[in-house]
Amino acid sequence: MYFNKGYLLELWNVRATFNEIIANRTSCQYKTKDNKARIMNNAIIDIKDLTKLYGKARGIDNINLEIGEGEIFGFIGPNGAGKSTTIRILMNMIFPTGGTAKIMGMDVVRETKKIKRQVGYIPSDANAYSSMDVHEFLSYCIRFYRVHNGDQWIHELAGLFELDLKRKISDLSMGNRKKVSIVQSMLHHPKLLILDEPTTGLDPLMQSIFFDLLRTENRKGMTIFFSSHILGEVQMLCKRVAIIKEGKIIKVENIETLRKKQLKKVNIEFAEERKMESFSIPGIDGLTSGPDNIITFMYSGDINELIGILSGNKINNLMIEEPSLEEIFMHYYKL
Amino acid sequence: MNRNLFLKEFEKNSLSLIIWTVVITIFISVTMAVYPVFLKNQSKIIGIMNIVPSELLQFKGISNTKDFLSVLGFYAVNNIIYMMVLGSIYAIVLSSGILLKEEYNKTAEYLLTRPLTRGEIFISKLTVIGLNIFLLNLVTSVAGLICLELVKNEPFSIRAFLILSLYSLLLNILFGTIGLFLSVLVKRPKPITAFSIGLVLIFYFIFTLSKITEGIAKIGYLSPFRYVNTDAINPAYGIDFWHLAYFIGLSVLLTGLSYRIYKRKDIYI
Repeated sequence: MYFNKGYLLELWNVRATFNEIIANRTSCQYKTKDNKARIMNNAIIDIKDLTKLYGKARGIDNINLEIGEGEIFGFIGPNGAGKSTTIRILMNMIFPTGGTAKIMGMDVVRETKKIKRQVGYIPSDANAYSSMDVHEFLSYCIRFYRVHNGDQWIHELAGLFELDLKRKISDLSMGNRKKVSIVQSMLHHPKLLILDEPTTGLDPLMQSIFFDLLRTENRKGMTIFFSSHILGEVQMLCKRVAIIKEGKIIKVENIETLRKKQLKKVNIEFAEERKMESFSIPGIDGLTSGPDNIITFMYSGDINELIGILSGNKINNLMIEEPSLEEIFMHYYKL
Repeated sequence: MNRNLFLKEFEKNSLSLIIWTVVITIFISVTMAVYPVFLKNQSKIIGIMNIVPSELLQFKGISNTKDFLSVLGFYAVNNIIYMMVLGSIYAIVLSSGILLKEEYNKTAEYLLTRPLTRGEIFISKLTVIGLNIFLLNLVTSVAGLICLELVKNEPFSIRAFLILSLYSLLLNILFGTIGLFLSVLVKRPKPITAFSIGLVLIFYFIFTLSKITEGIAKIGYLSPFRYVNTDAINPAYGIDFWHLAYFIGLSVLLTGLSYRIYKRKDIYI
């Protein structure tokens, strides 16, 4: 992709203005260190044994999750794993079969109205009311809240995302509809932002502006619950992540810890032929053999133990490296 | 009720309200414009009616030729199809789509994530249904009254006219609540407009068929049209308590059930 200097300079200016506006708009929030520290200690989302069955089919199964205020929390899993089901229960679109979910200490079923005053939501499908124009839709959305200088705020946000407020929503591209969806979620300065696959349709530049906005808001105290199946963006933004598989949470971990945890990618080039069957060491997963007596596997056991076992072999080359997040994810998915 | 949602919903549905009101008003006006021609040719009309089988006349809602030639009788017989059938189709189309559209257009993800309870959403939309049906009936009834005044050759009972209009309103409201009830029963979001229109027509067909076929007369009781009394020129014409109770009771019951179901309904997008 080619960008000229003028365009990049303009983009830089837009982002600078954008950060300034966001800072001014929300400067009243989380002013003191004490306040921020208090917020970080509280769970903004507290899910206990949450279950959803669709008849006999599984939606989610006994999910437990606690997200602290001020976190950027990733929720990752492939399509059909239960991410959207969890989010829809949190937003009271569907009702749980069992368990409880609380946001800011309030029950998502009984106190949904109070909760939604402080929660912004970006759905995966950006299907706003197609008969309205962008300004009409955003004005309609903002009137549900008490926002000071709401119209000015709509214009500011729309300007930053280069949205034409006069255009009909039905005439907008998928990417522009997504921008409308992002703007509507930010209109009331929510304390918690729940995002369900939010970057679909956004070009890389807009994604970058959007992520900057999220980081800026997070620094001011906004909690972000980021659901995605794209590991790269979760890795880029989130501090902690929950991996969901077939309706169950299989791992909740800090992104860095997940990387640094015992899981290593091991690559061994033996000097002589070795049979794969002889490699039955506990903690090995994804064992593959290549040409030139090379074998590769993921290892989650004690590295000293592995070296002890290997010491009786003649080895040409040994590589122990950090696996990529993609490889870690696949490892947990195979378990 | 939420004012913002109510106003937006009313605005969204205003164009269809105007179109339906204008169409029904035109039908009523054109039909009533024919009345003076009927009067001029009374003897010929009576002659034709005498050779038409009585079942066919009953099918049209005509109990005797004399009734048919009075201005209110003519209005009641001819406009039932416009005010009651078309009005009911409007009511059921409006009510069956007002909640369900949010689901199959996937806009429920925006509506349900606003600071609103399910109850507030339901009540706001229900108020729009009620107001639109009322306005449709009000305007078409006023248009009907003006037409009656313009073409009448003798005085007619305003009381009877108002009762006839009330029956039409009650019938339309009942179909409105039937549409709402059906829409909350739908689990996988898809439009039910064609089904709803079909339902009104089936009920009307059952009602008319039951009038001309003795063997299936009792089936007519299944149709809400059976409980509308259009015998407006009968001196004893009035509101039957049990019919009134039927319309109000069934409408309240269906609305209450719809409310309960919607409050706990899983909204799938």
